[in-house]
Amino acid sequence: MRPLDETETTAVFEKIFKFTGNNLKNIVENPSHEGPDSEPGRYCFRLNKNKVYYVSESLVKRATNIARTNLVSLGTCIGKFTHGGSFHLTVQCLSLLSSNAKHKVWLKPTSEMSFLYGNHVLKGGLGRITENIAPGDGVVVFSMSDVPLGFGVAAKSTQDCRKLDPNGIVVLHQADIGEYLRMEDEL
Amino acid sequence: MGTKKKNSQKQKITLPPELPPEISEDEIEVSDEDLQFVDENRDYAGFVSRLDTQSITKHVTRVAEVKEDALEALYEKRLKKKQLLLKDQEVDKLEVDPVDALPVKTLDGKLLYRTVPKTSKVSENNEEGETGGDDKEGTGVIKLTKAERRAKLKKSRKEARKQGKEAATTEVEQTSQAAVLAEVKEDITAEEAFENKKRKIAELGTNLLSDPESNIKSLKELLQLCIDDDHSIVKLGLLSLLAVFKDIIPGYRIRLPTEKELQMKVSKDVKKMRYYESTLLSSYKACLQKLSVLLKQSSFQQVAIRCICTLLDAVPHFNFRESLLGVVVGNISSPDEVVRKLCCSAIKSIFTNEGKHGGEATGEAVRLIADHVKAHNCQLHPDTIEVFLSLSFYEDLGRSEKADEKNNVKNKKGKKRKNLKEPGQLPVNDRKRSKQEVMTKMREEVEADYKSAAFTPDIMERRRMQTETLSAVFETYFRILKHTVQPTASSSEANASPSAGSCGSHPLLAPCLRGLGKFSHLIDLDFMGDLISYLRRLASGGNGSESTSVKSLSVSERLQCCIVAFKVMKSNLEALNVDLQDFFVQLYNIILEYRPGRDQGEVLAEALKIMLCEDRQHDMQKAAAFVKRLATFSLCFGSTESMAALVTLKHLLQKNVKCRNLLENDAGGGSVSGSIAKYQPYASDPNLSGALASVLWELNLLSKHYHPAISTVASGISSMSVVPNQVYLSNISPIQAFKDLSLEQESLTPPTDLLKSNGKRKRGSGSLISAGIESSLDTASIDEDEVRKKLSAHFMLLRDIKENQRLRDELDHANLSLQLYEEYKQQKRKAKRTKSKKTIA
Repeated sequence: MRPLDETETTAVFEKIFKFTGNNLKNIVENPSHEGPDSEPGRYCFRLNKNKVYYVSESLVKRATNIARTNLVSLGTCIGKFTHGGSFHLTVQCLSLLSSNAKHKVWLKPTSEMSFLYGNHVLKGGLGRITENIAPGDGVVVFSMSDVPLGFGVAAKSTQDCRKLDPNGIVVLHQADIGEYLRMEDEL
Repeated sequence: MGTKKKNSQKQKITLPPELPPEISEDEIEVSDEDLQFVDENRDYAGFVSRLDTQSITKHVTRVAEVKEDALEALYEKRLKKKQLLLKDQEVDKLEVDPVDALPVKTLDGKLLYRTVPKTSKVSENNEEGETGGDDKEGTGVIKLTKAERRAKLKKSRKEARKQGKEAATTEVEQTSQAAVLAEVKEDITAEEAFENKKRKIAELGTNLLSDPESNIKSLKELLQLCIDDDHSIVKLGLLSLLAVFKDIIPGYRIRLPTEKELQMKVSKDVKKMRYYESTLLSSYKACLQKLSVLLKQSSFQQVAIRCICTLLDAVPHFNFRESLLGVVVGNISSPDEVVRKLCCSAIKSIFTNEGKHGGEATGEAVRLIADHVKAHNCQLHPDTIEVFLSLSFYEDLGRSEKADEKNNVKNKKGKKRKNLKEPGQLPVNDRKRSKQEVMTKMREEVEADYKSAAFTPDIMERRRMQTETLSAVFETYFRILKHTVQPTASSSEANASPSAGSCGSHPLLAPCLRGLGKFSHLIDLDFMGDLISYLRRLASGGNGSESTSVKSLSVSERLQCCIVAFKVMKSNLEALNVDLQDFFVQLYNIILEYRPGRDQGEVLAEALKIMLCEDRQHDMQKAAAFVKRLATFSLCFGSTESMAALVTLKHLLQKNVKCRNLLENDAGGGSVSGSIAKYQPYASDPNLSGALASVLWELNLLSKHYHPAISTVASGISSMSVVPNQVYLSNISPIQAFKDLSLEQESLTPPTDLLKSNGKRKRGSGSLISAGIESSLDTASIDEDEVRKKLSAHFMLLRDIKENQRLRDELDHANLSLQLYEEYKQQKRKAKRTKSKKTIA
C-alpha cells in the first residue's frame, strides 16, 4: 500500500473530474467520522496491487500493521491501473460518483435490465437527461426511482439527443451494478 | 397753390410740433384763422372727413355685424380705455414717422395699409413744402435786411405756431383716431382672425366630410391654414386634417396612374376619380411632410405624434405607411412619456388589428424595431420591446392548408392516373383531346385570375410574413441577451448613456425575458442550446465565477431567466425529459438572496410554481433540500411569500413520499440521507445539502405564525405523515396563493392602522409609537366584538368627561350671575338708604 505518485494522482483525478466536475472537491474534503479521534479525519487515495482505494486516514494508519503482501483490500476500491498505465473506474466507486454526479441520465424501467446486462443506453430507454451534457462527459445512470445503476460516457450531447432516432446510443456503458453478479470473481 | 401751403408746411418742419399732451379733441381751440385756413385748403383737410366717414363707419358697422353684443361692448370698453393712454404716444410716434402706422388685416385676410396713403400724402406735402420753403427762403435771404428778416421770422414763427397748432390738432385728430382704430382693429382682428380661422377650418372640414369628392380641393386650403404663426391654429388645423383624413381615406392603396394610362381615353367619371385620388394623395403627402417638420419643434411634438399615431392606427393600409412607421418607431423610446405611450399604443394596435393591413405592417414594424434596437445597442426604454408581447402568431396557419394541399395532390394524382388510364382504355380522337386541353387551360387561367383578385391574401404568403416577423422578434431578443451577457460592452455602454432607463444597465432584459417566455413554443430547436446556455450564464450571475459583469442582474431578473428556461424546455420537449439541474441550483441559491421588499414576489411565486410544482420528477435529495430551504425561509419572508413557499413545500411533500421522513421526529441520517450524513445548511448544491438528515422543526414555529392562514397551512403539513390518507384541500398554485394573500393583506391593513391610531389616542400624547404598534399587534388577533366593546367603553368615558365639563361650566355661569345679582341688590339697597336719608334730611 502506498500513496499515489504525481502521474497516478492526475490520472485518477482527471477520471473522477469527468463525472463530478467541481464536486471533486467534496470527494477530497469529505470528512470521515471513523476511528477513535473526536476530530473528523479526511479520506485519501491509496494504491495497492494496481488497485486504487478511497480510504479514511484512521483506517490507513491501522492498515500499516499489515504487511503489503498480506493486505487484500481496504476502504473502498474505486478503480485500477491497467498494465498500460491508464486508470479505469470500477463499479464500486458508483456510490461516490452518484452522490456527486454532474451529469445524470435516468432510465425508463423497461430499459433498466438491458443496461444492467452491460448494454449501452439507447435513446428509446431514456427517461430523463440532464441539460448541458457534452459528448465525452462522464454520466451516471439512475433508475427512475433514483437508484444509481452504473455509469458511462456520453456519446451525444443533450442537444443532439433530441434529434437522435430511438435506437441511437446516448451513453456508452462503462460499469453497472450487474457486474457484482456477472464478474464476481474479477472484483 | 401759393404761399399758405408753403408757410404752413415750412413752419411745421422748422418747428417740431409741441403738442399739449392732455388735450382731448373737444378742448382744442380752433381760431378763426385756422378755420379760414382749413376752409381755404380743403384739399388738405379733406382727408380728415374722408377718413372719418369711411374707415370708422366701416369698422363700426363691421364690428356690429360680425360680433355679438357682448363682444362689441368689451371691445368698446377696451377702446375707450386705450384711447386716453395711447393718444399721446401714438401721436408722437406717428408724427415722427407716419409711415410706420401698422397695417391692418381685414376679414379677407388682406393686409391694408389704410393709414399710409393719407400720411404719405402729408409727408409728400411736407417734402414739397420743405423744398419749396427752402427755395423761397434762399431767394429771399438776399433781399431782406436783418431787421426785416427778424420781423419776418417772428411773424412766421407766430404763424407757424398757430399753423402748427392747427395742423397738429388736425393731425392729432386724424392720426390718433387712425392709430387707435388701427390698434383696435388689430386687436379685434387678432381675435377675430382666430375665430374666423377656426370657423374656416370647421367649415372646410365639414364640407370635406359631407362631400369629399366635390370638395377635395379644400384639403389644400386646409393645409394652407396650417401654416400659421399662431400655434393653436396650427394645432387645430392639424387635428381637423387628421379627422378628415381618417374619414375620407379609402380602404385601398392609391396607385397613381402611369403615363400610359394617362394617355388612354377614359370616361368623365374615371377622370374625376383620378383627380380626386391624386389630390388626396398629394395633400396627404404634404400633410405628412408638414408633420415630420413639426415633429422637430418641441412645442408641436406631441400634436404631431398624436396625429401620426392616429393615422397609423386608422389607415395602416394606405400609402406612405412606411414613413409613418419609421417616425413612430423612431419615437418609441422617447424620453417624453406621452409620446412614448402614444407610439406604443399605435404599434400595439397595428399588431392586434392585423385585418386592417393584412399583416404586412406588422412585419415592417417589427423589422424597424429590431433595427432600432440594433442601432441603439440595446440602450432603450423597456416599452420598446414590451410591444412585442401583443403580437400574435397563428400556429395553425398553413398547417391545415398543407394537409389540404396534400389531399389535393393526392386527388390530382388520382385524377392524373385516371387521365392516364383513360387514353389507355379508349383511344380518343384528336379533336376531343384538344378540346380537353383547351378546357384545362381555361380553367387554370381562371383560377390564377381568381387568386390575384381575391381579397384574402394567400395563406402561404401570410405564413411567410409571419416567419419573417418571428425571426425579427427573436433576433431582437437574442441580441438583447447577448448584449447582457457581454461584459465589457454593456458596462461601457451603461456608463456612456445614463438615459437608458431606470432598470440599470439592461433596461430591455425584463421585457425580453417575458417575451421569450410567451413565444417559447415558437423557438427553433437549433437555437435552443445557445439560448439555454445564455440563460444559464445570466441566471448564475450571482456566483460571479463565470463573468463578473452579470452580477448587476437583480434577483427578479435571474428568477425570470430560470422561469424562461423552464418554459422553453417545457413547451418544446414533450419527447425528451431534460433535467435542468443548473437552474435548480440557481433557484436554491436565489431563495437565499431574496428580499421581500426589494424583489418581486410574483416572480418568485411563478418560479416556485414552474420549477418545483410542475416539474414531473425530482431527486429525493433535491426535493428534500428544497423543502428544508423553503421551510427555513418562510420563517423570515413576508406572509405572502411564505404562503407561496408553504404551498410549494406541501406539494413537494405530497409528491415525494420519501421526503416525509423530514416530518419524523428523529433526525434520519444513515442510509436514508445518502452519502452526506449531516445537514449542511450552507451548501450551494441542493444535492449535497444532506437535507434528509434534518427535521422540519420550522413547521412547528410556523404553526404559531401571526397570520392565521399560514399557521393553519403549517400545522396541516406537519400532520401530513400522521394522517397518511388525508384528503387535502384543492391544490392551489403558489402564484394563486400569493395573489390571494396579497389581496387579503390589502384589505387587512386599514383596520390595523385604525387600531394603531386608537391605541395612540388612548395612551395620550406621551405613549410611544412602539406602544401603538404593540396594541395594534395585540388587537390584531383579538376578535372584533371585543374591540367594539372596548371602543364603546372608551367613547362612553369621553362623552362623560365632556358632559361633566359642560355641567361645570353652567354651574360656574350660574354662580357668577347670582353673585352679580347680589352685588346689584346691595348697591340698590345702599342707594335707597341714601335716598331715604336725603329725604329724611
